[in-house]
Amino acid sequence: MNDLAAAVATPMANVEERTKIKVRDLHFYYNGFHALKGISMDVPEKQVTAIIGPSGCGKSTLLRIFNRIYAIYPKLEAKGQVELDGENILDPGYSMNRLRGKVGMVFQKPVPFPMTIFENVAYGIRHHEKLSKPDMSTRVEQALRSAALWDEVKDKLKQNALSLSGGQQQRLCIARAIALRPEVLLLDEPTSALDPIATSRIEQLVEELKSEYTIVIVTHNMQQAARVSDYTGFMYIGELIEFGNTEKIFTKPDRKQTEDYITGRFG
Amino acid sequence: MSSNTAIYVRRRITNMVAMLLGGFATLLGLTFLVWILWVTVSNGISAITPTLFTKITAYGAQGGLSNAIVGSLIMDFTALLICAPIGVLAGTYLAEYANSSKLGATIRFLNDILLSAPSIVLGLFVYVIIVLPMSNMTHGAISFSGLAGSVALALIGLPVIVRTTDEMLQLVPGTLREAALSLGVPQWKLTMQVLIRAAGSGILTGILLALARLAGETAPLLFTAFGNNFMTLHPLDKMASLPVAIYQYTNDPNPAMHAIAWAGALLITMFVLALSLLTRLIFSRKKVSYE
Amino acid sequence: MQVPSTEPLARNIDARSRADALHDRIFRRTLKFCALLVLAALVGAALSTLWGGREVLFGHGLHFLSSTAWNPVEDDYGALAPIFGTLVTSLIALVLAVPVSFGIALFLTEIAPAWLRGPVGAAIELLAGIPSIIYGMWGLFVFVPFMSRIEPALSATLGKIPLVGKLFQGPPLGLGLLTAGIVLAVMILPFISSVMREVFQTVPTRLKESAYALGSTTWEVLWDIVLPYTRSAVIGGIFLGLGRALGETMAVTFVLGNSYNITSSLLMPGTTISSSIANEFNEAVGTHRSALIALGFLLFVVTFIVLLIARLMLRQLAKREGR
Repeated sequence: MNDLAAAVATPMANVEERTKIKVRDLHFYYNGFHALKGISMDVPEKQVTAIIGPSGCGKSTLLRIFNRIYAIYPKLEAKGQVELDGENILDPGYSMNRLRGKVGMVFQKPVPFPMTIFENVAYGIRHHEKLSKPDMSTRVEQALRSAALWDEVKDKLKQNALSLSGGQQQRLCIARAIALRPEVLLLDEPTSALDPIATSRIEQLVEELKSEYTIVIVTHNMQQAARVSDYTGFMYIGELIEFGNTEKIFTKPDRKQTEDYITGRFG
Repeated sequence: MSSNTAIYVRRRITNMVAMLLGGFATLLGLTFLVWILWVTVSNGISAITPTLFTKITAYGAQGGLSNAIVGSLIMDFTALLICAPIGVLAGTYLAEYANSSKLGATIRFLNDILLSAPSIVLGLFVYVIIVLPMSNMTHGAISFSGLAGSVALALIGLPVIVRTTDEMLQLVPGTLREAALSLGVPQWKLTMQVLIRAAGSGILTGILLALARLAGETAPLLFTAFGNNFMTLHPLDKMASLPVAIYQYTNDPNPAMHAIAWAGALLITMFVLALSLLTRLIFSRKKVSYE
Repeated sequence: MQVPSTEPLARNIDARSRADALHDRIFRRTLKFCALLVLAALVGAALSTLWGGREVLFGHGLHFLSSTAWNPVEDDYGALAPIFGTLVTSLIALVLAVPVSFGIALFLTEIAPAWLRGPVGAAIELLAGIPSIIYGMWGLFVFVPFMSRIEPALSATLGKIPLVGKLFQGPPLGLGLLTAGIVLAVMILPFISSVMREVFQTVPTRLKESAYALGSTTWEVLWDIVLPYTRSAVIGGIFLGLGRALGETMAVTFVLGNSYNITSSLLMPGTTISSSIANEFNEAVGTHRSALIALGFLLFVVTFIVLLIARLMLRQLAKREGR
């Protein structure tokens, strides 16, 4: 049924986007500190959504709620609703495995596991699926190809991943995340530790990946948000000040604070 | 003006004297190191003969140390087999699960005390909890044993491994944990397959350091493994060891026995110092891999 | 080109989540158990020696702690002589090792050129790696004869000083409390100096630089700035060395002479708790053995307290650094 709808819809450009993650009145506390204050937003499916704002505004915190990675630390608490395909992921009954299988994450600094390049990608898959050896190889290759890394590493899959350059390591981390075939990809300032050339490779990759994945990227670099995203949210001191079409946010924002930030008057 | 100069001169002289004394203290320390090593090597090397490795201690001055060497190897590695897994897991608990808890702080603190606790008391401990009960149960058929010796040595190595594992895991960047957990990998797999591997060479260093420490210990073996003039491979027999054999030979009035003691001393010293050099090597190489 | 359902049945995933949670719990308990073994080792060492020595500790009580007798024939045991020997040798070791360690730390942090610090520091630490039985052998075969040649000179010079002179009068045996104390000093030297060196390096550079800017000499910076700043940790390091010295067996047992004496002369033979245990345990039976285990208990309690103080002092600096 969905397929039919899709087939009908394809010829038409710019169909109404479906909401992938629906956030309603989300609050976050650590050690009693009120870090997020009533965030509500809709993250559209298969689009790139950027979250910008000065450091300490809570943008990374918000991202880390989307896969509940915050839950590994004590004394952190999220209240409100974060619905992924209509189900609240903050519900304690929502299985962590299911969530982490659906939502992948890439971190600020590249963190390859202390294993071979191949094992880095295969490691996560093994926990979710039992694959035969050839299937696994295909899967790893696919992931590395999608992450635009295959050509550079295909001859040294058995080498330690720590031997790669920073940019390559970060793409390996992206490959590792998409190898699980998630639906959502969270990128937490993925280029802040990289040089300009590696950065532009990653940005190009984000552009390519959005046909398959819903991408949420947190960045402190406004040009980057403008370049890669379709939607942008601006956060300031724990609040989502404004959320909308990237072009609109960057050209004629509704709120004064957004405009001040965009034009570099603070932050 | 002149009194100012006097103060200035006095201060400079004080400083010079302090610097000289500092250099002298260091020279003194190094002198003792060289002296002890020189005595060990010069006395030991002439006594190292093939019979040292082929004959057992039962032949006395005409014998060798083969049973003591074998006994030491068996007990050292059994001890390592006992304390390495326990120590690594305990250290992992401290670093990963109890980093900020009260229990963790207490155990970490007590582990540091165990690290420098008198080894002879640990020997007594094992005597009371293993040797005595064994002897009572078997009506004296089994009392002192290589196994008891290994347990005593394991107690020496344990805190070293706990501490290094704890420290090394704390150096592993937290993002590595987050990255694995965000793939849906459970905590135990993350710990065993990612974190321990990331801290691998550091943990190995700790294990080697523990081996270096326990291999040189004599006191805890005296009333656990006791000693044996014959070759045995049975863990429940009394077992010879290099340090205890050296202790007995040194106490012997016969100078020919002293020569064998020096040979044994040289073997142990070489082994222990080689291990600590090896750990330095591993550790200095380690620093390049992360960060 | 939608990949056909990458998501297996939700029920399977939930089952795996539950299995993971169970495995995590089991894993955590196993780790905790191992960590508790460390605690058990310490508590066990205390309780087992208390139990093994109960006959003497509870049966003879105060007499054991206050008597100088040590008579296996009549089963009359007092711990005073070994306690005296343990304290005296450790004290000698501290008196000698602390200034030398301080000098070494001074040399390695302030005086030596950078290229020399690594190798010399490593060499000093090698001293800590040498097994204690080697110290014992070197002590007996080399250092005791050396001391017996030196001791007449000591008696002739230091022995003439009023009050302290008594300490250095006696037969030049070579063996004895002074010799044992010196061997212990060499043993604990690397421990104390490495703690001092480490804590000296924690002093913020700006603090030192501002003193240098006022024209202070290296020595003045160390004495007036570095030492006060690190005082608690330095004391901690000294106590750590003391803990080592109190419990050391093999390095002293050969060079002490092993006699149950309490003398005013440091040149006389004596005994320590650990060397009494090492020498007599395997021939001892009954009450004698119980007395030796009771000695072990005393040693454990004393070293535990000393090490406790050491660690608490060391922690103070670590805390300040953390802030």
